[in-house]
Amino acid sequence: MTTKELIDKLGLEPLSKFEHREVNGVFISDMLSDVMTGAQTGNLWLTIQTQKHIVPAANLVDVAAILVTGGKEVPQDTIDLASRFNIAILSSKLPTFELVGKLYALGLGGK
Amino acid sequence: MADCRHRWDMTDTRFGFVVFEKCYHCNTIRTFFSTEETPVLWDKYREGDCFWSRVEVAQSFQFDLKCADCAHIEKFGDLMGFLFCTSCMDDCEVEKLQKKHEKDRTWVLVAFGHFPEVKKNPIPQRKLDILTDYFNQRRDTSRSRVKIVSFELIKDLPRCKGVFIHDVGMLSEEPPKERKPVF
Amino acid sequence: MRTIKEALDATVIEGEDVLDSAVDHVYASDLMSDVLAFGKPDSILLTGLATQQAVISAHMAEFKGIVFVRGKTIKDGSRKFAKDHRLILMSTELDMYDACVRVEAVRTGGGNHPPETVHEDRSADVLLQHEYSIEGSDFGSAGMLSTEVKSMLKTIGFDPKLVRRVGISTYEGEMNVVMHAKRAKVFLTITPALIEVVIDDEGKGIPDVNLAMEKGFSTATEEQRAMGFGAGMGLPNIKHNTDEMELTSEVGKGTKLKMRFYI
Repeated sequence: MTTKELIDKLGLEPLSKFEHREVNGVFISDMLSDVMTGAQTGNLWLTIQTQKHIVPAANLVDVAAILVTGGKEVPQDTIDLASRFNIAILSSKLPTFELVGKLYALGLGGK
Repeated sequence: MADCRHRWDMTDTRFGFVVFEKCYHCNTIRTFFSTEETPVLWDKYREGDCFWSRVEVAQSFQFDLKCADCAHIEKFGDLMGFLFCTSCMDDCEVEKLQKKHEKDRTWVLVAFGHFPEVKKNPIPQRKLDILTDYFNQRRDTSRSRVKIVSFELIKDLPRCKGVFIHDVGMLSEEPPKERKPVF
Repeated sequence: MRTIKEALDATVIEGEDVLDSAVDHVYASDLMSDVLAFGKPDSILLTGLATQQAVISAHMAEFKGIVFVRGKTIKDGSRKFAKDHRLILMSTELDMYDACVRVEAVRTGGGNHPPETVHEDRSADVLLQHEYSIEGSDFGSAGMLSTEVKSMLKTIGFDPKLVRRVGISTYEGEMNVVMHAKRAKVFLTITPALIEVVIDDEGKGIPDVNLAMEKGFSTATEEQRAMGFGAGMGLPNIKHNTDEMELTSEVGKGTKLKMRFYI
C-alpha cells in the first residue's frame, strides 16, 4: 500500500510536500525514544505530537509518513521542515484507536 | 573480527532521562543519564564555587550496538543524544555540512556526549561512523541517507539553537510546545 | 479488563483482584495532557509512558486501568499509588499497534458490560474548610494534593462527575505551582451550594492574564522555555472544568487562582 492509497482510502489530509512511497507496517508512539528504538523504515508513524522535532526523528528512522491523529493542528514550521526533508505529514481527525481499526481492515500489520 | 562488515542491531536498550544542569556562576552545563523516576527540577545545590540547578529533564534512552554476524558489541553509554541543526549560524560547520549534503538527500545529525566529559574525550570518529552505519542499515539508502557528525563542529556552542531529538514535557499536563535550546 | 489482559497476554502489575471490572472506552496515547483533556471516565489507557505522572493522570481522568505497551513497567512508588487508588496496571510485550488491534477485536467481539453504578449518600449540610501547602519544584509529590482532595470529596459523596471536574482542575492548578511557583497555599471550602478551591502562590506571577488564558499560550520566560516546561499552563482546561474561575496575578509576587464548582 502506498501513501497515496492510504490518503485516498482513509480520507487523510496531506500537509507537507513529499514523494509517495510504499508503507509497510504501523508504529504508534508519542515518545521519540520509542520511535528511535522501535520504528522501522517504511512504517506509518501515528502520533499526536506536532513539534518540529518529530521531523528529524522521522528522518532518522526513515518512516514512510507521519500521521498526526485526533485532528491536532500541525504548526507551519513543522510542515515546512518536513517538506524540506521530503517527509510526509498526514492528518486525520480520528483518534488513534479508531484509525487502528481502519488500518487493520486495510491489511496493514504492525511494524 | 576486523574483517567483519558489521550488521548492527540495538541491544541493551535502557529508557530513562537525560538531565541537564547548569551552573549560573560559571555558566557551564553538565548532563547525565538517569533512570530515576521523577527527578526534581530546579533542584539547586552547591558544589565548591558552583551553583548547580537543573534546567531540563528529557525522556530519552541509551543503547549499545551489537553485530548480528560476529556478536561484537560497541558500547554507546557515552552518547547523550542527537541534535538537529536549525540553521541558526550560516558559518557553522554543521550548517555548512547540512546544506552540502541536503542535495544528495543525506541528512546530518549531531551526536553529543555527556558534559563535561565529552569536551576532554569527544566521541571518536570511529564510533560516529558506526552510528552512521547503523542508521543507514536501517533504511533504504537509495532513497536517503543519514550522517552522524561530532558536536565539535558546532561553531559557537552557547549560541547554538539546535534541537535535541528527545522528549521534553511528557510529564507536563500540558501539550508540549516549541522549546528553546538549552545552551 | 480480564478479557483485555488475556487478549494482550499481559502481566498484571497491580489490581489482580479487580480485573473483572468493565471498561467503556479505550484511549491510546503517551501525552498526558491529552489524557486529561479528552479521556473519558472508566476508560483504559494504552501507553508507552511508564512514569508516575502517567499513573496519576490516568487516576485523575478516572480511568479504570493502564496497560503499558512494549514491555514497559513502572517503579514501586507508582505501584503503591495505583494500589491505593484501585487503578489496574498491566504490561504487555506487544507494540501499541498490535495491542490496539487486539483490544479492538475483543471489544467488538465481546458483549456489552453494564457500567458499575455507585450509590452514595449525599449530605448537603456539610460545611468544610481545609488548608494545604504545595512546594514548588517538588515533582515527587506533585499530584498528591489533588488526589487527597478528590478522595475526600468522593468519600463525602459528591456526584462523581463533579468530583472528577474538581480533581482535574485542582491537579492542573497544583502542577502549575510545582512547575512555575515557589510555593502555594491551597484553600478548600465546601458550602451547601458549592465547592471552592483557591490556590494562592508565591512566584513570578503572570504579566498578562488574558493572554495566558489562550489555549496553549505560555507566559514562561525564554529561560523557562529552555528549561523545557514552558508548555502552557492548563488554564483553558481548568476553565472548561470549573463553573466560575478567577485568575489574578502580580508580577514578582504571585498568582491567585480561584475555582468554584456548583453542587
